Amino acid sequence: MAESLSYTEKLKKWNRFEVEKFSKKAPVTTPYPFIDIEKPPEYRGIPHINPEKCIGCGACVNACPPDALILEWDKKRGVKRLTFNAARCIRCHRCVEVCPTGAMEPTNIFEIATDNKEDLVEVVEHKLAYCEECGEYLDFTERQIEYVKAILPKEIIDMYALEDRIGLTQEAKMRKTVEKLRETEGNAYPAFILVKKGGEE
Amino acid sequence: MVTTRDLEAHFEFECRACENGHCRKADVETILSERKGLKEFYEAFKEHIKECKRMTYGQYMFVIDREVLPEAVLWWHNHPEFKETHLSTAVGTDERPLNGKFVYMPFLNVQVEPQNMDENYWVFLKAYMPADDPSFPSVAAKLPAALWIEREVKDLLGFNPVGHPDPRRLILPEDWPEGVYPLRKDMDYRHSPMAEVKTEFKEKPEGTTLVPMGPVHMGIEEPAHFRLFVKGEEIVDVDYRGFYSHRGIEKTGEGRLTYNQVLFLAERICGICGYQHSVSYAMAVERLADVEIPDRARYIRTLMLELERIHNHLLWVGIAAHLVGYDTGFMHAWRIREPVMWLVERLTGNRKQYGMNIVGGVRRDILDYRKEEILKVVKQIREETKKFIDIALNTNTFIKRAEGVGILPYKIAKAYSVLGPTARASGRRIDTRLDQATKTAMAYNEVDFKVPVYKEGDVLARVLVRMDELFESLWIVEQLIDQMPGGDIMVPIGDLPEYEEALGFTEAHRGEVVHYVMTGEKNKVYRWKVRAPTYNNLPAVPEMLKGYHVADAPLIIASIDPCYSCTERVQFVDVETGKVKVLTEAEFNELSIKYRGVF
Ligand code: SF4
Ligand code: SF4
Repeated sequence: MAESLSYTEKLKKWNRFEVEKFSKKAPVTTPYPFIDIEKPPEYRGIPHINPEKCIGCGACVNACPPDALILEWDKKRGVKRLTFNAARCIRCHRCVEVCPTGAMEPTNIFEIATDNKEDLVEVVEHKLAYCEECGEYLDFTERQIEYVKAILPKEIIDMYALEDRIGLTQEAKMRKTVEKLRETEGNAYPAFILVKKGGEE
Repeated sequence: MVTTRDLEAHFEFECRACENGHCRKADVETILSERKGLKEFYEAFKEHIKECKRMTYGQYMFVIDREVLPEAVLWWHNHPEFKETHLSTAVGTDERPLNGKFVYMPFLNVQVEPQNMDENYWVFLKAYMPADDPSFPSVAAKLPAALWIEREVKDLLGFNPVGHPDPRRLILPEDWPEGVYPLRKDMDYRHSPMAEVKTEFKEKPEGTTLVPMGPVHMGIEEPAHFRLFVKGEEIVDVDYRGFYSHRGIEKTGEGRLTYNQVLFLAERICGICGYQHSVSYAMAVERLADVEIPDRARYIRTLMLELERIHNHLLWVGIAAHLVGYDTGFMHAWRIREPVMWLVERLTGNRKQYGMNIVGGVRRDILDYRKEEILKVVKQIREETKKFIDIALNTNTFIKRAEGVGILPYKIAKAYSVLGPTARASGRRIDTRLDQATKTAMAYNEVDFKVPVYKEGDVLARVLVRMDELFESLWIVEQLIDQMPGGDIMVPIGDLPEYEEALGFTEAHRGEVVHYVMTGEKNKVYRWKVRAPTYNNLPAVPEMLKGYHVADAPLIIASIDPCYSCTERVQFVDVETGKVKVLTEAEFNELSIKYRGVF
């Protein structure tokens, strides 16, 4: 295989109307796919999930027009699975736009032809948070909860007593609130104040 | 969250209808006095008009009795003063979940004064039909422009156009059972029944021979089946069966996607004029949400639309050259075109502008250093195309085949509502870019360009119209780059109002693209109708073919630049995207892993 000029170099020479105009002839036919084709940096290729950054929030799944990304919950095993199927991807990069953590990484790969469909699928599994109170898994992943804790300002966390409550299932949370309400029956304070008190105790 | 200013206030129109703060609520008298012709129409059909309403800027709706539909459509289409007014398309809607009725609604593009977007407007003629008797008197009996659309609503919604001259199946495949109507709301979009194959072809006229052409066009390599009835070499009559690439896109869009996701489906309707579709769709939704998009976004959109027109015209002229046997021309036209594609790839991230648009603006900005690059490409294209045209138009192979062939007279062009360059080559002075209020989504009102019109109506005239347009587009691009304003490139769109309707439209390189959107609940689309220009141009092709030789047929067909996929929008059976999409998709993936290598 002949060493080839860079693709753009070649195309510069291709830019001609009559043959006399160019001095050195450059071959236009390249031994593609055995060599790499130069892509512009702006090209939108298939995205890639960085499992270290992904928190499993599912924002990308909601945005994806052709359902190339899907989320599944397996409450028995306590995992949440994010699957990316490049065969369905239309390379629109909506997912890249909406991802809060930058886990969806843009690439400019466009050649996805393969003889093995498994190559096209990327799977990221997340551990679901576990509620000690009722012994069930939450809808959220552990990382999601960490992330929420990290980005919310202190006041809000205090106001809603999130430190304690965030790890609970919806049911347990409601039960706690009801208990508090019972304790202070006839009290005119809004519920969150009661909760706050509860948090401080 | 979203601050919505009125479109009129921003563009400094005098708005006399906004008494209640919202234009859609203005009273009948003010609405009718807004534009020329509305009052006249109202007077003529007073007894039959139930309601009249202003949908959005330059779009009016009359709710009218179905009995007078043909008269009303013809009143507009053949208006003696508004010469270029035409029946653009129509939409059938199943509104039974809302009010227990079906709706058939033709749209008219009313041209009070050609190329004055502040005077012209759209008229929707909405006719309600009871659920047990969805029929209406056929407009097609008197106006061929309605031939296809009435067959379409018959196929997809089960309406009965009484008196239609040719009520054969148009869209659904031959093995689709009778009485199953895909666009009715009670049909699930995953349902795809089968029945016996039943073909309906036109009877062969006495003393002719049948020459089948298709089911794939030899030059454009897209599915379309023409049946030419010939006497010797001369074509006497033509039958057409198409819609082999009907993909059911409208149903998918209505079934499960949100308005922002539909956009990405819309732009994939066509492989070469996708950006036109995405802008039209975005425009319709922006009108519904009543937001005004930033000037910079309008400019960038216009720039992309024009770049698209440039490369599409070059692509077409290449194919035309190829079909007449002038392959040198074909190679050169496509070589000249390629730098535009590279430029677009750098600007938008895809050769085909895919993924550039979003409802409310555009997704990528044009950085200043790119401007030089654009101007460089434009300059190069202009020089090379000039040379190319000079050579092509002095090549006998080309001229001899194109001149005086496939003539489409003005009258037939008007009767079929032919659009775009095909219409302009037959003397119709229409161009949606200037005719209708495109200014809310595009910046055509702020640039200067001419609309070339030829009278000859033959294939050569169609070549010349397109080449003139190409140079105008290059000039538009230069102006846009020069005048590009600063600022944001998109605005967020809040929630859409429920059950409102609007049109979005652009002038693609083949003619006017129309997207009709009716919103549903929860930011979904209740009804989405796409009408690509070829939908109007293709029914006129048999008229162009009659009287010419079989050898000319491929060229004549290609001369309207048909795009079958756009026209047919449209039957893919999509099992893996159900409501419980999470699980079914997963199953699909598991299956595909399990059976890998088996299929
Ligand atoms: S949006 Fe980002 S963080 Fe959230 S699930 Fe998708 S990739 Fe992970
Ligand atoms: S690039 Fe678009 S289609 Fe592909 S996974 Fe992301 S959102 Fe989905």
